[in-house]
Amino acid sequence: MKKRLILLIGIVLTAITLAACSGGGSDDAGGDVEVPEGATEVVMWNLFGGGDAAFMQEIVDEFNASQDAIFVNNVQQEFEEYYTKLITSVSAGKGPDLAVSHASVLPELVSQGLVQELDTYGEEVGVNWGEFNQNILESTVFDEQHYAIPIDTHPHIFFVNNKLVGDAGLMNEDGSVKMEQTPEGFVEFMTTLKEELPEDKFPMSFSTAGVDSYRLWFSFYTQLGGENIVTDDLENPEYVLDVDKAIEAAEYMHDLWHEHEVIPLNLADFYADFQSGNAATTSTGVWATGTWEATEELEFTALPAPNIFGQDAAFGNSHTFVVPTSQDADPEVQKGAIEFMDYATDKGVIWAEAGHIPSKTTVVESEEYAELPYRSDYVEVANYVNFPDQTVHARGIEDIMIRNLDLIWTDEESPEEAFKLIEDEVKALIGG
Amino acid sequence: MKNKLLLQDMKAVPFLLPFFIVYMIFTIFPVIKGLEMSFYDWSLIGKLDFVGLENFTVMFSDPFFWRSLWNTTLFVILTTPTMMLLALGLALLANLNTKLQTFFRGAYFLPSILSVAVISFLAIFMLQPYNGFVNTILHSIGIEAEPFWLADKYLAWITIVVVTLWWTVGTNMILFLVALQDIPESLYEASEIDGATRWQQFWYITLPQLKPISKVILLLQVLASFKVFAQIMLITGGGPGGATRPLIQYIYESGFTQNNLGYAAAMSFALFFILLILSIIQLRPQRSEES
Repeated sequence: MKKRLILLIGIVLTAITLAACSGGGSDDAGGDVEVPEGATEVVMWNLFGGGDAAFMQEIVDEFNASQDAIFVNNVQQEFEEYYTKLITSVSAGKGPDLAVSHASVLPELVSQGLVQELDTYGEEVGVNWGEFNQNILESTVFDEQHYAIPIDTHPHIFFVNNKLVGDAGLMNEDGSVKMEQTPEGFVEFMTTLKEELPEDKFPMSFSTAGVDSYRLWFSFYTQLGGENIVTDDLENPEYVLDVDKAIEAAEYMHDLWHEHEVIPLNLADFYADFQSGNAATTSTGVWATGTWEATEELEFTALPAPNIFGQDAAFGNSHTFVVPTSQDADPEVQKGAIEFMDYATDKGVIWAEAGHIPSKTTVVESEEYAELPYRSDYVEVANYVNFPDQTVHARGIEDIMIRNLDLIWTDEESPEEAFKLIEDEVKALIGG
Repeated sequence: MKNKLLLQDMKAVPFLLPFFIVYMIFTIFPVIKGLEMSFYDWSLIGKLDFVGLENFTVMFSDPFFWRSLWNTTLFVILTTPTMMLLALGLALLANLNTKLQTFFRGAYFLPSILSVAVISFLAIFMLQPYNGFVNTILHSIGIEAEPFWLADKYLAWITIVVVTLWWTVGTNMILFLVALQDIPESLYEASEIDGATRWQQFWYITLPQLKPISKVILLLQVLASFKVFAQIMLITGGGPGGATRPLIQYIYESGFTQNNLGYAAAMSFALFFILLILSIIQLRPQRSEES
C-alpha cells in the first residue's frame, strides 16, 4: 500500500512538472485584451518608456475611439531586449501586426526580410508620402521602396539655462544666446560662463562616456563635412570615415573637458545637473525638452546644436512604424495597421509634446504645432539631421564607436590611436 | 531478491524524472544546440551557412576575444585569493564566542541576499564623483583628490573587485564557518593540555582541518568568477573603453548586438573548455587523497 502511495505521489509530481513545462500562456502576441465586437484587432508592439509611452497611448486611444472597424492593441515592451524579442518573434511567426522600430534598426529588419514593404497597401489606404519631411522619409526607403512610416526625428540638440546664461551676460534682449558660431566662439562662450558663474555652477553638463558624447561627436564630424562612417550598403558596406575630420571633431571635444575645463569630468548624471540648475548648458536629444518642461523653476531655451564648423548638421534617429512579415497575414489587419500609422502621424502634435519633431510637414506647419513652446526653435533640424548609416551593422558600429571614443574623452588614448582602433574593429565587423 | 532491489531503485525514478526532464530540456539540449550553432554562421533569426571550424579560427586571431578573456582571468586572479582570505577572516570573527556573534554572521551574510541589480546600483550611487558617499567622506577627512571610481581603468577594477567581495563573501564565510564548527573540540582540548598557544592551535589544528573545505571553495570560486558578467555590465558596462569587459559580455555583444550567434556560441565553448580543464585539474588531487 505504502509503495503505491509513493508511486502515486511520484506520478502526480511528474505530471505537475510536465504541465508547468508545457506552459499555459497563449501564443497571441497581444495578451489578453478585450477587442470590441466586429472590430479587426491590430496588435502593436512599442518600445517606448516614460512620457513617450503615455503620448503614444493617447494617440492609440484617440484612434480606437474615432472609428469602430479597427482596434489597435498597444503592447508596451521592455526596451532593453526589444529588438532581440521583435526579431526572434517575427522570424518564429509570432510577431505583432504592427511594430515600432528605430530607423537605425530598419536595415537589419529589411535585409532579413522581417518587415513588409508598405507601398502596395499604402496606396490602397491612401498614404500620401509627399506629406512627410523628405529628409526623414529617406531613412525609411530601401531600394526605392517604403519599408516604414516615420513617426518623428529626434536629433541631438542644445539646451541653455536662461537664468545662468543671462546672469553671465550672454543672453540678448530677445532671448537669443550671445554666441559666435565658430569653434573659437563656442569655446569663448563656455569660458566666459566659467569665469562669470558662481563657484558651485558650471558651464556645461555632459557625459564623459557613452552614447551622448558619441552623438555630439557625430554632429561635429558631420558639421565639418564628414558624411558617413561606412557606406549605405545593407550587407557589404565600405569603411569611409574621413579620419582627419573625425580627429578634428574629437580633439575639439576632448579639449572642452581637458584643456578648457568647461565640462566637469565623469558626471554621474548629467541630466540631473542641468535639471537642478547647476549647469548653464547641456546637449542631448530633443526628448529632454519634455523633461525640462515638467521641471519647476527651470527656465530654458532649446536650440539646434551650435553650428560651429560650417555645415548645418546634427546626429539624429527616427521612430518609425513597420509591418512585420507574416506568412498567414490578413490583408485587412495589415491595411488597418497602415491606416493607424497614417492617423498617428497626422496626430504629430500630441507626439511633439514628448519633444520629438513630427515627421509630417503638414503637422509641423500647422498652427497647433506653432503654439507649442520650444518646439519651433529646433524644428529646422529635421531638414538636415544625419541618420546612422543604412547598414545591418549600424548597431555594431555604434557600439564600437562609443567604446573607442570613450578612450579619447577619458584621455586614455590619442584621437589618432583611437580612430586606428575604430578602423580595425569596424573593418573586422563589416568584413566578417 | 534481485527483483526487490530493482523495484527499490525504480521507486526513485518518479522522483528523479521531473528534474531529469527539465534538466535535459533546459541544460543538456541547449548545450548540444550551442555546439551545433558554433559550426554555423547563425544570426538571431536562425541558421544561415555551415562554416565548419571558421568561428573557432576567427576566435583565435580575434584580439578582443583574448582581451576580454584576459579581463575575466584578471578578475579571477584578483578576487579568488582575496575572497578566500576575507571569507576565512570573517568566519573566524563570526566564530568567536562573543555577544556580537549573531550580528557578525548576519551582517556579513546580508549583502548576499541582495540581487545583482541592487548591489550594482548601490555601488554606482556610493561611488559617484563630486557628491558620492565615498568621495564625500574622502573630502571630509581632508583628501582633496576626486577619484573617478568607475571611469578610471585601474580604479574601475578595484571597484568591481571590492563590490564583488562585499556582495558574495557571505556564502563562502558560511562554508568556512560550518567547517570551523565541525572541528572536534577534543583537538583543542588536547593541544591545550600540551601547552599550545592560540597561534599554534590555529596553525596546526584549524588550518589543516579547513583544507578540504578550502579546496571546495577554491573550485566553486574559480568557476563562479570565470562566469563574471552581471555586476561588471551594470557597474562599468565593461568600460572605460572596454578595460573591464569580461568574456561573457563580449559573447553577449557578439550574439545579440552584432547578430552573430554562431561566433558567440564558439566563444562560449572556449569558456566551457577552460572551466572543464580547471575543474579536472582541481578535482584530480582531491580524488587521489580520498582514495
